Amino acid sequence: MIDSDGGQIWMHVWAIATAATVAAACALVGSFLVVRRLSLLGDAISHAVLPGIVLAVLAGGRPGGAGVFLGAVVAALVTVWLTNLLGTHAGLAEDAGAGVAFTTLFAIGVVLVSALASRVDIDPGCVLYGILELVPFDTVPIGGIEVPRALVAATIVLVGLVVGAVVFWKELVFAAFDPAAARAAGLPVGLLAAGLLVATSLATVAGFEAVGAILVVAMLAVPAAAAELVVRRFHLVIVVAVILGIVGSVVGYLAAWRLNTNAAGMIAVVLGIEYVVAALLAPGDGIVARIVSRESLRWRVACEDRLAALWRAEEGDAGALAPRTLVDSAAHVWLVCRGRVGSTAGGGLTQVGREEARVIVRSHRLWEAWLGRHVALPLDHLHPPAEWIEHHLGAEVRGRIAADLEEQGGDPHGREIPPEQTAPGTPPVLPR
Amino acid sequence: MILAAADPPFTAAWALPYNTLVVAAGVASVGFAAGVVGSFAVLRRRALAGDAAAHATLLGVGLAFLAGGGRRDLPLLLAGALAAAIAALGCLVLIGRWTRTRDDAATAIVLGVSFGAGITLLSGITARGVAGSAGLEQFILGHTAGLTATDARMLGGLSLLAVCLVIMFLKESTLVAFDPSFAAASGWPVTLIDYGLVVLVALMVVVGLPAAGAVLVTALVVIPPVTARQWTDRVGIMLPLAGLFGLVSALAGVAVSSVVPRMPTGPLVVIAASTLLTTSLLVAPRRGGLARWLSARRTVAAWAEGRLLEIALRLEGAGPFTREQILARAPGAAAASAFRRLVRGAALEPVVVRGGGHAWRLAARGRELAAERTRRLAVWTEVLEAAREDARGQLTIDVPSPESILGAARLKSIRESAAAARGGPGPT
Repeated sequence: MIDSDGGQIWMHVWAIATAATVAAACALVGSFLVVRRLSLLGDAISHAVLPGIVLAVLAGGRPGGAGVFLGAVVAALVTVWLTNLLGTHAGLAEDAGAGVAFTTLFAIGVVLVSALASRVDIDPGCVLYGILELVPFDTVPIGGIEVPRALVAATIVLVGLVVGAVVFWKELVFAAFDPAAARAAGLPVGLLAAGLLVATSLATVAGFEAVGAILVVAMLAVPAAAAELVVRRFHLVIVVAVILGIVGSVVGYLAAWRLNTNAAGMIAVVLGIEYVVAALLAPGDGIVARIVSRESLRWRVACEDRLAALWRAEEGDAGALAPRTLVDSAAHVWLVCRGRVGSTAGGGLTQVGREEARVIVRSHRLWEAWLGRHVALPLDHLHPPAEWIEHHLGAEVRGRIAADLEEQGGDPHGREIPPEQTAPGTPPVLPR
Repeated sequence: MILAAADPPFTAAWALPYNTLVVAAGVASVGFAAGVVGSFAVLRRRALAGDAAAHATLLGVGLAFLAGGGRRDLPLLLAGALAAAIAALGCLVLIGRWTRTRDDAATAIVLGVSFGAGITLLSGITARGVAGSAGLEQFILGHTAGLTATDARMLGGLSLLAVCLVIMFLKESTLVAFDPSFAAASGWPVTLIDYGLVVLVALMVVVGLPAAGAVLVTALVVIPPVTARQWTDRVGIMLPLAGLFGLVSALAGVAVSSVVPRMPTGPLVVIAASTLLTTSLLVAPRRGGLARWLSARRTVAAWAEGRLLEIALRLEGAGPFTREQILARAPGAAAASAFRRLVRGAALEPVVVRGGGHAWRLAARGRELAAERTRRLAVWTEVLEAAREDARGQLTIDVPSPESILGAARLKSIRESAAAARGGPGPT
């Protein structure tokens, strides 16, 4: 199959187009499932549609035909009905109920496929992971071009889902984010949920032939979950999810072709990599961003502590204070580089450094004084909270505390609280 | 193991080779252990985490196969599967701790992606024609035909180990399963016990792999405990019962698949387990559908009898009454059969009236029942009145309007039926 002659290239293009269309449809539906915390519904439905498909094929339906879609939708509805039944009549938690219902239906499907292998043209392997490579061989002529049947089916499903999502956009979003309010506002919440159910089974069946039952789970959940990490607005989540799904299918197919392995599995792997990258690099609360912000805060605290220590040393005429820890030394070097501390050996604070240090010590002592006055804490317990808060007090809060302490100045430890500004004309320190 | 020790003539009589019996015994003990371990997974709602771990085992099997240089050595492959299962559970924990992704999506991601990676790896191995790789696909849907007696003994041993661990930590796991916050407050290491339980589920998923396959092995952990739950409310009974159901399902699956050619074991095991479940849902005492239906019928019947008795008491003020008079006041099939029961129970007796028609009056038994019923009603009324007085003391000016809570139509029907029961119009 890895020939470069024109016909073969077309085969790959058709397969990639099919995978991408399926991925787009799944990502669209999956976004709704993920925000509604129904990802496992996708899992359950993708397993459970199997007996529906097999029975429909047995009854004479063609793979990718309307009968098969109908069979799958019925099977999906039966799964949900069974899960609810197990919940209400057997008192099962939803996860256990779904676990029972979909494994049973899937098992029935596999047994049917195995037992009727001669009469049903479904390969048990295809059930699990699809045979994307064979999709281009089952074609229908459209306008003189032989188009793969699976692509036609997937395109129809995708268009239908997009139209449905656009027409009912407002209602779907309302019901997804606040079902109780939506119900109170008179929306047919149950009907919308059923619609989502049908949409999920349609996307699942469209993907079934291309990527198999289980990998549809990846196509439904992974792009949507990754998109949700990257952007916050829901319509953007859908757009990003669809893009991630399409990119994943193209890259996954090409990688599988290159490595001579199963395309559907590879697509799932690429989608997984996309998720990991999104989790690492998401702006704001991605893992990298979190580590960076935590470490940069820690670094700022170290630098400010060093400044304050030097200021206190000057106040007590103790002369230059040697850094004590490694972080302390690094902070000192950084302060020297930024011109906060004199570069000569034993150099004290520069003018700019002194301004900044004074604000930090002021915050510290204001807080101690305020706590000493309003909170029944022993004197030796005032330092630790002040040591933490000194890095976070802004100019406005300092002003309010100072005003509160106006009539009774002074630090409870008996030290002077440095003023906000030394003399008129000195540039004010920018609020952090 | 008991079957394995059976004497040769017995074996010969059943025409089953020694190997088959050992494999059956091994699979049976796997089914038993899966049921026992799964009980806690179901009670603790960890069912689908086990599913994610199960799908990941395929990747572990593939990697172990490559690491072992292409030997199809079951202990090695299962060790790889266990490592992959635990890694998958670790990924779930990491996703929960480091990202905004919610539990359900995290499960779906780990499940889908790890299964995809497993399929990719196995297809790659098969496509390159590595010797011995053909059997690897049996791990997807399960196939016990290839098991040797040694393999089965190992599976049996691991199952025994899992059951022993559950019994050793029975108190701790029960406590954590039913009341985690109380357990935490009493100083039990809840997180540790939870992780231990999940690792045990991963172990069972791996041990069940040859019998049920990566895709369906969760069912072996989930369905038997759910079945056992229908029969009992006691953990001490639920565990062995779940084990028994697991054992029977596993054996049934293996037996059928050994008869039908090319049929994977996993789906058959699952179908056997859910057949047991369906049966239990229908016939289990108290919780079963049949028991519920009967109890509902009894309630309706008792209610109808009480109502008839009340009507009879009222009608008797004007002498004997006919059946039609009573039933006109209490329509419905339940009332007709309640009338028959009252007659049979000697609460009503026929009186001879002129004109040859049938008339009835309360018998001594009926009077007794009616008196007792009246007394109970009076006591209840008294209690409810007291409660109403109590409630009146609590009421403020902004009492919620009954119309807004019950809805106008519902309120109207309640008041009408209350008025009918009192025999006159109620307050408006």
